[in-house]
Amino acid sequence: MNMETAVTGHALEQEIAQLIIDTLNLEHLSATDIPIDQPLFGDGLGLDSVDALELALALQKRYAIRIESDVKEARRHFATIASLAAFVEAQRAACAG
Amino acid sequence: MIHLRIEQWRAWAPGLDTSSAWQTWAQAPHVVPDQQEQPECLSLPPMQRRRLSRLARMTMEVASPLCGEDEQLPFVFASRHGETTRTFALLGDVTDEQPLSPTQFGLSVHNAIAGQWSILRGQRGESVAIAGEADTFEHALVEASTHLAAGAASVLVVIAEEMPPSAYTQWIDDVPFSYALALRLGSAASSESSSTDACWELQLERHDSHGAPCAWPHALDFLRALQTDQTSLEHVWKTRRWKWQRTR
Repeated sequence: MNMETAVTGHALEQEIAQLIIDTLNLEHLSATDIPIDQPLFGDGLGLDSVDALELALALQKRYAIRIESDVKEARRHFATIASLAAFVEAQRAACAG
Repeated sequence: MIHLRIEQWRAWAPGLDTSSAWQTWAQAPHVVPDQQEQPECLSLPPMQRRRLSRLARMTMEVASPLCGEDEQLPFVFASRHGETTRTFALLGDVTDEQPLSPTQFGLSVHNAIAGQWSILRGQRGESVAIAGEADTFEHALVEASTHLAAGAASVLVVIAEEMPPSAYTQWIDDVPFSYALALRLGSAASSESSSTDACWELQLERHDSHGAPCAWPHALDFLRALQTDQTSLEHVWKTRRWKWQRTR
């Protein structure tokens, strides 16, 4: 990974962290408070299934991507901010292609 | 005829969040400016607080102090208009052909706040959410009295209304400002009754002639009477005349 992609990736992660905070009303947190490899659901940040639906909707709106309702795949993509950023990046590339 | 003992009460409106503020208001009722203020509910963890609407926060604020940590109380939530703000936001999304927010959708139903109360306070007993007309307050107390008649020692009633979005102004004219009133009620016959508790009788009669509706929402008018020396009041609505009489 060259320096440019690393910076872009980092910016996307921060952007997604902020999107999570704004969408789910986590007014007590700032984007840097959520480690990019912290589990978002369950014992980590503590999000639940309604948050997952809300977040999927926000990601689709913001990045004009499609999220299939395959639960197993979604679980993997929605695990952390890092995995979400990688997923959004891949979907954008796919949509652009 | 219903006999009710007011064990405790709490009320909230913009700028009116202490009993002394309500005492002052009761002496000279007036419309308070509503600038969308809402209770902070700081006693709740942030992850639990984040889904509470303004109406839900108002409800939690007034209900919480009236229910002990280890206590289970039947809960009556009453609101004539309910979550107009959430509903209006959803309707806007429908108009704009936008997908609906699952959170907004799920929490727009009338019993959502009763559900949140149950979850946040671990209340596993009966709860009910009702909506009536301008006399929703009295109907809520009829509902509460059924819990007392069925053997509950106490029951918690909350009546809450939020100032609706301005689009509703033409149709909703009975919410001068957002308010919530919680009453913790006991049976008037209870031997445990403290001598300082106010007791009231509520009676419903048929109302035939045209009468002026109450100048204030019934809950606020009752709250006013509760804090003054007034011993009786009447609230008429359509065919119903609700007669309140203080017995202690």
